[in-house]
Amino acid sequence: MTQEQMLEQIVKQVMSSMGGAVSAPAGSAGTVTAADYPIGDKKPELIKSATGKGLKELTIDKLLSGELKPEDLRIRPETLELQAQVAESVKRGTFALNLRRAAELIAVPDARLLEIYNAMRPYKSTKDELVAIADELKTKYNAPISASLVAEAADVYYARKRSKEFI
Amino acid sequence: MTMKSKRFEALAARPVKKDGFVKEWPEVGLIAMNNPGDPTPSLVVENGCVVELDGKKRADFDMLDTFIANYAIRLEKAQEYMAMDSLEIANMLVDINVPRDVVVDITTSITPAKIVDVLNKMTVLEMMMAQNKMRARLMPSNQCHVTNVKDNMTQIAADAAEAAIRGFDEMETTVGIARYAPFNALAIMVGANTGRPGILTQCAVEEATELDLGMRGYTAYAETISVYGTEPVFMDGDDTPYSKAFLASSYASRGLKMRFTSGSGSEVQMGYAEGKSMLYLEARCLYITKGAGVQGSQNGSVSCIGVPAGVPGGIREVLAENLLAACLDLECASSNDQTFTHSDLRRVARSLMQMVPGTDYICSGYSSVPNYDNMFAGSNWDAEDYDDWNVIQRDLKIDAGLQPITEEALVAARAKGARAMQVIFRELGLPEISDAEVEAATYANGSQDMPDRDVVADLKAAEELLARGVTAVDFIKALDKGGMKDVADAIFKIQLQKVAGDYLHTASKLSPDFECISAVNYPNNYTGVCTGYQISDERWAQIQDIPWAVDPESV
Repeated sequence: MTQEQMLEQIVKQVMSSMGGAVSAPAGSAGTVTAADYPIGDKKPELIKSATGKGLKELTIDKLLSGELKPEDLRIRPETLELQAQVAESVKRGTFALNLRRAAELIAVPDARLLEIYNAMRPYKSTKDELVAIADELKTKYNAPISASLVAEAADVYYARKRSKEFI
Repeated sequence: MTMKSKRFEALAARPVKKDGFVKEWPEVGLIAMNNPGDPTPSLVVENGCVVELDGKKRADFDMLDTFIANYAIRLEKAQEYMAMDSLEIANMLVDINVPRDVVVDITTSITPAKIVDVLNKMTVLEMMMAQNKMRARLMPSNQCHVTNVKDNMTQIAADAAEAAIRGFDEMETTVGIARYAPFNALAIMVGANTGRPGILTQCAVEEATELDLGMRGYTAYAETISVYGTEPVFMDGDDTPYSKAFLASSYASRGLKMRFTSGSGSEVQMGYAEGKSMLYLEARCLYITKGAGVQGSQNGSVSCIGVPAGVPGGIREVLAENLLAACLDLECASSNDQTFTHSDLRRVARSLMQMVPGTDYICSGYSSVPNYDNMFAGSNWDAEDYDDWNVIQRDLKIDAGLQPITEEALVAARAKGARAMQVIFRELGLPEISDAEVEAATYANGSQDMPDRDVVADLKAAEELLARGVTAVDFIKALDKGGMKDVADAIFKIQLQKVAGDYLHTASKLSPDFECISAVNYPNNYTGVCTGYQISDERWAQIQDIPWAVDPESV
């Protein structure tokens, strides 16, 4: 078994043991700027876990009593959107874009995320395979910003002869 | 026989004579800065699209040019700023009357060749003045390595706990044997947060494994995500700017802080420098980092330091790289890590470039263990240099992140860190950590003072730990059950950072009471003498209090 395969298998085992994290429905949690930062301290009511639990509900006592699961300690898309707004308010536009791609990618399971990353390495995928991943991100995971990055990679890799066709 | 100079003979025996030096060879990129072969700055934008970058038409762009042109340059005022004289921008960088944000507006809107042209004009003194102002976070900080040859997790926890009370805000481990990664990551996280709550930890291993450890809550951030300055070297690294940008977003999607790594010398070392200067190629790396939307960079040649250090002006170039990262509004963890010289004088001179002005993380990292235990191929600074570092801070009245400690405090911190590992291993049914091992780690200098463990049993247990899906939640429960409630609480609060995401921002670190301190709420506001970060009376008392200083009152 290659290291990659082993890793994938391990990730799958972790995911099954976690019982699959469920994301709260997407939507706006408000508008913030650097004045509201750190949001966890200044606007904790805006922060919820991936499972929809409020930041103030996430206590160590609840964790010890078994009320909190690992997925309760995961970030949700709305939170990354808030952090993207903070980044924009201090003129960090590309960082904000990264956080928005990240918000989209929360929905992609761990194992698939690692697969897509590996598929984006040089010579690992054909142009069509990368285009298919871009479509998957767009349609299956509603991740248009991330999809456009992968679609652009498909074109650029092919033009630079760095896709699988050119091995 | 010709007479030999005894003076020359004496000089030949000096440590610096063991270092490697080479004359410039611009055609293969063996040149630090000021290379006539570097591109001439240019930028042509049509309909919001960059059609020419630093003398190259879009049709001739390689993959890195394309990525930089599409993502890394703020185009709104780019034409205006590109038209400015580079000398004028260089002067603004040094001028105490020009605030950081005014400079950043310019330096994030110009091309790689342009910013290189600006830095080419500056002396190290001018660059240090600029670094003082351009650092993203108000106050400097420091990061250390915590590793050992045996991958002994109890020693890692003890060393991390000691490093925590010495002042490091970030800590990095890696492995001798790859399969030890889960234990080493766990040990540094628990040990560090035993010493002082709120320390961010990472485990440098293969990219996908590193992300996996983060997803499980064994680490809080990552930095060994390498980018390179030419397309062939990038491909040799089995990545592209696009794959790395996707990886960056993957980290943030799991609430994990990360920064990219790059550094001069890697391209020439791998034989594909394309006749460009080290600084120009590093500029391309940093523009890719910026374009990927990553908050920061570990740069300053890093593990290729031997290459710039061998050419004329190489250490000046390393400072220029760090400053360039700051100019792009990136967090800078400024290397000062890998060993590059036999000369104690050179290693101090190299580090003063960052220690004096201060960077977001001055070392990345300082070896918190003896040289023989450093698994990152040795560091410019190690555990045996702790007192020298502290005295240099005291001599110069600078804050380079550390403070002296007493032997009692050291022993107490190490004992607690080691015990925390013993508790977790016991509660999780992992191979026993004996009382003798805890005691050895408490009083050890390095792994030569540690008993050997059953490596086969450890590796089997480490694999099972991942296979049975043990996460940070289980570590917290184990610590609590073992009576170490304060440590459990610290590890829990580290996990909460990943839910809130505040620490994803530029140049973050956490205070002992878990306030997130970053360039957002603590921006560098230097505008001249007595402004910006000032060492408080309390902090100065801490820095100057070396336990072995004579107290005049007691004489």
